[in-house]
Amino acid sequence: MPPLNAPEEGVPAAGLASWQQDNSSTSYASYAPNMLSELPELGPLPETPTSSPPAPGPLLSPPASFMRTTRPRRFSNISISSVAATVGSETQSACVGSTRDLTGRSPVLLINYQELQYESEVDKSLECPICRTPFHAPITTKPCGHTFCSECLLRAHQLRPVCPIDRRPLDVERDFCKARVIHDQLDRLRVKCPSQGCGHVCARELLAVHYERYCEYTPVLCPDNSCDLWIARQDAAPDKGCLHKYTPCQYCSKQVMKAGLEEHYDRECSGNTVKCAQCDSSVVQHRMENHVANDCPSTVVLCKWNKYGCGKSAPRHDVQAHEKKPCIYQAIGRLAQDREDDRLIISELKVRLSAAEGRLRVAEQEKTERRERKRRQAGNTNNTMPPFVPDLNLSNSPRAAASYNNGTLDSPEDYMLAQFERMETQMEDLRKNIHELDGLHSMRLLNDTMRLNEQIAELGSKVGVIGMHTTWLMNVQRQSRGQQRAGGVVGSPLSSLASSSGGPGTTNSATGSVTNAARNAPDNEGGRYYNSSLPLRRNSDGRGENPPRL
Amino acid sequence: MASQKRIAKELADCTTHAPAGMSIALATDSDVHKWHVTLDGPAESIYSGGKFGLVVTLPPEYPFKAPVVTFATRIYHPNVTNDNVGSICLGLLKAENWKPASKLLSVLQAVRLLLVEPQPDDPLESRIADEYRRDRAEFDKNARAYVQRYAKGPVKFDGTNVGADAGAAGGSGKRSTG
Ligand SMILES: [Zn+2]
Ligand SMILES: [Zn+2]
Ligand SMILES: [Zn+2]
Ligand SMILES: [Zn+2]
Ligand SMILES: [Zn+2]
Ligand SMILES: [Zn+2]
Ligand SMILES: [Zn+2]
Repeated sequence: MPPLNAPEEGVPAAGLASWQQDNSSTSYASYAPNMLSELPELGPLPETPTSSPPAPGPLLSPPASFMRTTRPRRFSNISISSVAATVGSETQSACVGSTRDLTGRSPVLLINYQELQYESEVDKSLECPICRTPFHAPITTKPCGHTFCSECLLRAHQLRPVCPIDRRPLDVERDFCKARVIHDQLDRLRVKCPSQGCGHVCARELLAVHYERYCEYTPVLCPDNSCDLWIARQDAAPDKGCLHKYTPCQYCSKQVMKAGLEEHYDRECSGNTVKCAQCDSSVVQHRMENHVANDCPSTVVLCKWNKYGCGKSAPRHDVQAHEKKPCIYQAIGRLAQDREDDRLIISELKVRLSAAEGRLRVAEQEKTERRERKRRQAGNTNNTMPPFVPDLNLSNSPRAAASYNNGTLDSPEDYMLAQFERMETQMEDLRKNIHELDGLHSMRLLNDTMRLNEQIAELGSKVGVIGMHTTWLMNVQRQSRGQQRAGGVVGSPLSSLASSSGGPGTTNSATGSVTNAARNAPDNEGGRYYNSSLPLRRNSDGRGENPPRL
Repeated sequence: MASQKRIAKELADCTTHAPAGMSIALATDSDVHKWHVTLDGPAESIYSGGKFGLVVTLPPEYPFKAPVVTFATRIYHPNVTNDNVGSICLGLLKAENWKPASKLLSVLQAVRLLLVEPQPDDPLESRIADEYRRDRAEFDKNARAYVQRYAKGPVKFDGTNVGADAGAAGGSGKRSTG
């Protein structure tokens, strides 16, 4: 009865091959190579098992965990190994067949995903219709959309190249594709480790890692080259040799496999129970020592607080009662125990501290080295670009100067950052200066404009005054001409001026100027202005050299 | 090994949703590949009142190969060999028709249906099939006689209530290979 296993390698079917290539989680095959290469050395290893003659059948029922197997053989494109003999009805181990000896290390039994025990009921929709277990490496048929485990589908396909549900013809290359959708759900299923005696439960995705690398109960190939049976990893020490040899039981002379001796003693051996000399209970003989040391109620033992001062020494059951009472040394004992625990913790912390210190030292060393490197780099920068750095050094910001000058920076990044910071402060300073200048300028501008305005107004008023003078002079001239006609001799030098300034228009503009000047300085001279109608009065003021003040 | 889980589930399905008048048990506790099914002759058929034993044998390649179902109790039926083997001709179970995803429950239901509606066009016993088609009264009489003779009392799967006098009531006709 050849059971089906996860395909191992070189499967010709394209669908399956691609499945292995990019399936990252559930396929055992994808785990195998890198995992095996990381397996701890397990001792001298049998070469890839060859056609060794089948070992003689078991004389007696071997313990369930030791199955006799034949070596893997090929069943067309699916590798199959068969279990030649399993014994008893509960011996259906979930592991059948073996990996190939990929790295020359101990091969382990393949996980048979169809025999896995799930922690809780798995949703029916995740069940393969062929093996009726949660899908393993599921494949969906493209034409009809049915999903099966890859093993199941390939096996069925081999017998008849049609869909196992609706018998639609299927082609491996064309019609098979991985069922990715349900992958996550499948990966998360909680599953029990298939190794007998293990009991580990984990997400199915992680099972292969546990099983291949960590599980002490994983069946591995017997370290004895001549033996092709499986043995739990924890028993597969090379110095123990093959534990599959049959020896007569020392108590009942039954033929028992070495590896199964303990189990035999505990379960079926009838010839080895003896009465305990102290307590009258019957105990398996080879457990007697253990019984006397740990269990026998009649063994004289010390109170467990003995270390802390209790001197009680009596048969175990008495001492147990005494401890329960409780022993008066319990309080102090507990205290002392706490202290011991503390001490343990402290010493562990010390170890960790020193480790951390070591790491710190290394880090500091690295830091120093980096700083050195950086300093050299900084030196280079200064050498290659001498005008650049000084030019920027406009600002005397203490921060920028400090960060640049005292060299506390340890990486190029930090250096660049510092440079940026420095430039930023410089920019800030520049901006401030510009603002100051701006203010200064507008201040100056304002002042200057005011002065100019004043002067312009002054000039305007002077022009006005001149105009008034002109008008007055012209009036004077006209009058004097009139007088000349009448026989007078007044102001001949003014006559040319009067003729050039010409007529009543000049008078008008002069008046405007005066008005303007008056507006600029209303207080001046108590508001007394010269009106063109009062030329004579102005003369009488005696300030002829000053034009009217503003 | 691969089929263990599948068989366990099929067995659970069949026992929890057993078709009317059927009870299912393992032949021996240690072997899930051989089932003993007791079938009460369906009331709507001429076989009512009889108790028939069916043996379901699951090949090692199950579910990739079809299970084999045989009558442990002699029965006068065009699709069941009239001998102590009791082979059944059931379309579902033919090698070319078998689907690995087929459920045993539907196989059992098909067997029960076969008692209600014999399929004379696909016979194992062509003589009985002929009789069924041409002379239904004679067929019914013979079938009831078989029920009286073999299918009364507790069902035995050990072959003691089959073939004690093979052919006595109907003789073995020509067999086609269903
Ligand atoms: Zn389909
Ligand atoms: Zn499957
Ligand atoms: Zn484990
Ligand atoms: Zn060995
Ligand atoms: Zn013994
Ligand atoms: Zn004792
Ligand atoms: Zn004490």
